[in-house]
Amino acid sequence: MIEVLDLKKCFGAVKAIDGVSFSAQDGKITGLLGPNGAGKSTTLRILYTAFRPDSGKALIDNRDVTVDKLAVRTSIGVLTHGAGIYERLTARENVRYFGELHGMSGKELDMRVDELAELLDMNDFISRRAKGFSQGQKTKVALARALVHKPRNVLLDEPTNGLDIMATRGLREVIQRLKDAGHCVLFSSHVMQEVAALCDEIVIIANGTVAASGSPDSLRQETNEANLEDAFVKAIGSEEGLI
Amino acid sequence: MHTRKISHLSSLWTILKKEVIDNARDRRTLTTMGVSIVIFPLLIFGLLWYLDKTVKEETDLVNADAVKLPVIGAEYAPNLMTWLRQNNIEIVDAPDDPEASISQGEHRVILLISENYPEAFRKGTTAPLRLIHDSSITGLEKIGYSTVRNAINAYSGQISSLRLMARGVNPEVVRPIRINTSDVATPQARSGQFLTMMPYLMIMFIMAGGMYLAIDTTAGEREKGSLEPLLTQPVKRHIVLLAKLGATVVFSSLTLLLVLSGLALAFKYMPVDLISISVSLGSILKIFVACLPFVFAGCALMVLVASYTKSYKEAQSYLGMVMMIPTLPLMSLAFISPEPSLSNMWIPALSQGMIIIETLKGEHIPMNLIGVSMICSLLLATVLAWFAIKLYQRERILG
Repeated sequence: MIEVLDLKKCFGAVKAIDGVSFSAQDGKITGLLGPNGAGKSTTLRILYTAFRPDSGKALIDNRDVTVDKLAVRTSIGVLTHGAGIYERLTARENVRYFGELHGMSGKELDMRVDELAELLDMNDFISRRAKGFSQGQKTKVALARALVHKPRNVLLDEPTNGLDIMATRGLREVIQRLKDAGHCVLFSSHVMQEVAALCDEIVIIANGTVAASGSPDSLRQETNEANLEDAFVKAIGSEEGLI
Repeated sequence: MHTRKISHLSSLWTILKKEVIDNARDRRTLTTMGVSIVIFPLLIFGLLWYLDKTVKEETDLVNADAVKLPVIGAEYAPNLMTWLRQNNIEIVDAPDDPEASISQGEHRVILLISENYPEAFRKGTTAPLRLIHDSSITGLEKIGYSTVRNAINAYSGQISSLRLMARGVNPEVVRPIRINTSDVATPQARSGQFLTMMPYLMIMFIMAGGMYLAIDTTAGEREKGSLEPLLTQPVKRHIVLLAKLGATVVFSSLTLLLVLSGLALAFKYMPVDLISISVSLGSILKIFVACLPFVFAGCALMVLVASYTKSYKEAQSYLGMVMMIPTLPLMSLAFISPEPSLSNMWIPALSQGMIIIETLKGEHIPMNLIGVSMICSLLLATVLAWFAIKLYQRERILG
């Protein structure tokens, strides 16, 4: 479970986020939706302990991300923005490396990698070196790497970026399965249809604050718009930056 | 939810192992190391061979064998011939076409005495002689020509003195200055010059061996976007940095070991009589161990700079300059050749340079001086690594 309370973060004079609050429950998919530069990535980066917030609180499974960093990191799986993988290692070695960093080893790790290769349909390239992988293949490796230690909370920053339709469908299926297995899934996107199709809860972020949040139905009701797209636009206040 | 106990040490080992495997598959790293084991001995081989050959032949030419001088018209100048023979020059029969034989390299120098020579000599005017040689020839082959020339000049000087004395003039009147030169250069001094290059080359190779890894694991990793996922793993950042530094040290020291092995091989298969350099397994090990702290310092410096830069390209151009820094103290070795003492053995790079030179010369360096060198370099390495860790802990490392 993820709880965010009034998070603020500045980069010099630029206010990246200015009081973001929301929560993401276990067994649900929560989407952070907003235009580019709205503060989605900064929020996620604070959650996965890369940045320190200037003020506010962020808790993952009731652990403060600024205090209990290492424990928080063991309980999250992260797909960072534009996640890079090691080109001179095979897909399997890439995934194993992160598994080992989580203290896994031997048979347990091998079985987990096989399991993920099956789940993400990676068997064609699992033993190949990553140099020359397609964007879809790279994202799968990065996702497998994020999930190798069976994290309860999964944070995905723009996971469908650069993926073709088939890969996107595959990813949606994986996210759905994570939800069914009781994980807390939080992902950011600026693609409205994607969020609409997947999410149980939507948090709309604009200009560093939460413009609206709730289930797709409640958002439609709140804004008095029958169409979800119109509801988004109304909540954000402009059409800029959305696809 | 899985809770596993993850020790710092096992994280360090996991990252170090991965970086070593990753970079062992990198062609650039392997090329650098391959070059160090092949080029370095060849370089030494070539240099030593040339030095050895020069010294030997010079000695032979000057001291032992008579210079063979073909002379045309020897019958016109019997006194000169006697003089030349006394000066260790052997008069031999000249070929039919002297110029052709010189240009074809059969002879280096031929003396031509014209039939006017006795006439001019008797009258007391300047008698003409002709020396045929090829001025494009340099180096040792030139020695024959200059020996002959010097002998003839000496003869000429003697005759002119006699002529002046016959006319009641002191010969010194026409010789206002006499230069006395003395060359004290010995073969040992030559090998000394050669030795001052060794530390320079070794330190360059130490730096080059770890450079790509230093860039790849910091600036490179950030550029490829794999640093952020790595830093969200349950590993402290200083452990991440120390593991990467460790991997850099592994490759740097491996390169040093290869260079030293190359050096040992070059000396083993090289018949070097004139240059006294001792290379044994013991001295190789001694140099390796004494240089290890410098390897740490050099790698820490490179990791520090590479952590500071934003991209691979930037890191590469900065490191190109940084690689020069450790060679600066070594410059003084070529100019002032200092003796190891407490006042200079604390200087990293310079102290290792002196240890390399003295050990190769087969001279003893007190253990306490080696200790000073190692401790000071380790201290520097620690300070540099500390700064690198501080840089790594900033949020800006993620760009």
